[in-house]
Amino acid sequence: MSDFVRVAALSDIPDPGKEVFEVDDRFVIVIHAGGQVYCLDDVCTHDDGPLGEGDLEGYEIECPRHGAKFDIRTGAPTLMPATQPTQVHEAKIEGDDIFVRIVD
Amino acid sequence: MSVGTVPSVENWNAEAFNDYVKQLNEPQWLVDLRQEAFESFEGKDWPTRKEEEWMRTDIRGFSLKKFDPPSFTTPVDPASLPSGLLAEGVDIGGQVISLNGKTAVSTINDELKSKGVIFGDFRTVLAEHGDLVKKYLFQGEFDPNFDKFSALHAAYFSGGAFLYVPRNVQVEQPLHVLNLIGDNGVDLAHTLIVLEEGAQATVLTESASLDDDQPGFHCGAIEVIVGDRANLRFVNLQNWGEKVWHFAQQKGCVGQDANLFWTLGALGSRLSKVNQHVALDKPGAHCEVNGVLFTEGKQHLSYHTQQYHRAHSCTSNFLYKAALQDHSRTVWRGMIKVAPGAQKTDGYQRIDNLLLTEHSRADSIPGLEIEADDVRCTHGATTGKVDEEQIFYAMARGYTRKEAMRMIVTGFFQQVFDRITLVSVREALGHAIARRVREYD
Repeated sequence: MSDFVRVAALSDIPDPGKEVFEVDDRFVIVIHAGGQVYCLDDVCTHDDGPLGEGDLEGYEIECPRHGAKFDIRTGAPTLMPATQPTQVHEAKIEGDDIFVRIVD
Repeated sequence: MSVGTVPSVENWNAEAFNDYVKQLNEPQWLVDLRQEAFESFEGKDWPTRKEEEWMRTDIRGFSLKKFDPPSFTTPVDPASLPSGLLAEGVDIGGQVISLNGKTAVSTINDELKSKGVIFGDFRTVLAEHGDLVKKYLFQGEFDPNFDKFSALHAAYFSGGAFLYVPRNVQVEQPLHVLNLIGDNGVDLAHTLIVLEEGAQATVLTESASLDDDQPGFHCGAIEVIVGDRANLRFVNLQNWGEKVWHFAQQKGCVGQDANLFWTLGALGSRLSKVNQHVALDKPGAHCEVNGVLFTEGKQHLSYHTQQYHRAHSCTSNFLYKAALQDHSRTVWRGMIKVAPGAQKTDGYQRIDNLLLTEHSRADSIPGLEIEADDVRCTHGATTGKVDEEQIFYAMARGYTRKEAMRMIVTGFFQQVFDRITLVSVREALGHAIARRVREYD
């Protein structure tokens, strides 16, 4: 398991809001929503779509390619055409900063 | 887009390019060719996932500025280099070995020389046979303007090899080309193979890293020109280390009643994006491609193939097999193109994927573009997992799980191996794959 890595200041990402970062050679979306932070792969499991470019609605993010949706808390698909979860990573707020740990 | 609108990369900008070209000391016609390609490179955007070609291949992690163009100031000691896999136990007729774009070895035996065969590293052949290089360089299917990477290659290419086989000359001994990357190196090899009418040859090309853990960047091209009634057996084994970015244009064209037998092995690299195209230019041309892909870790191999029937009565047969471990990915997009008037076409393409782990993924998109009405075009893709019952059956007869898995993987590839006539190539591929098969729960 890799270590937690600081990716941004909490104030850099509005609530609700999202930003894509490269962590450990991997592109992930960091989402600030409901006072919490979440992190998942920037990949739609249906067609490799750029999930980070999609719209955020509550706790769901929509892939801009075909409209598949995922729960940002669990990575689980909530709307077809995606049927497989996208990988979720650990994210936490410490002080004024957001930290992420990649989970393989 | 006009030149200069895309931000240039400092160590690959116009100033760096001019310094690089000065080092090469090449004739003006080639300098002009490079200059044109450089302007094309500067004017093109980096590919994005918004383009169909790159939709499933994410190169945001690639940064050109982490690498420098090859430098030719210090010589390479050939004694310090490995000899590759494909030439082991093979009586070869010539060899070219390069490291980070610098030639370390360039040999051809006297018998072949006396027959008029020209083979060697690009720089040497250019100095001795400049007119011949000028006649064929970029004249086949390779297009410097295909994308930003192909333009970069055309502007900066170095290393690689040139083979010319005159009319009706049979080259019995295989010729071997090995391109190596070491120490965060860059390989921009250009391999150009020309067989005149009725000629015959076998070429074994491969790539490897000195250290599997070192990053590297390959941006290469292969041009194969098979003349009328000529026969070429061509092998290309990509065996880079796990941190190498691999971008390649591999293009062939086949003349009347000529044969191109192409075996392709893709085992290494962090990410590969390869365009492999073969054009059947004249009646009776035939091409057979055998592809073997084996991936592990987080590798991503993206192969885009095209068999282009431009003339009537041509046959093409592309068979690929991919086995995937861990979290690895393959993308395969195959296209059979049939031009208007290319009647009596027989085109076949197929890829079979074997998923060895739950998190591996294979995307296969076979395609047809047919503009003639008397053709047979067959295409298909299969994807499946290892059958647990087969594992159980083998283990019930005394095999360990790993032995059973290895046997199934070997059996999966057997159809392709059966089509590879060169024993050394079959064995090298077989051993390389068997070594990589891991234990699964």
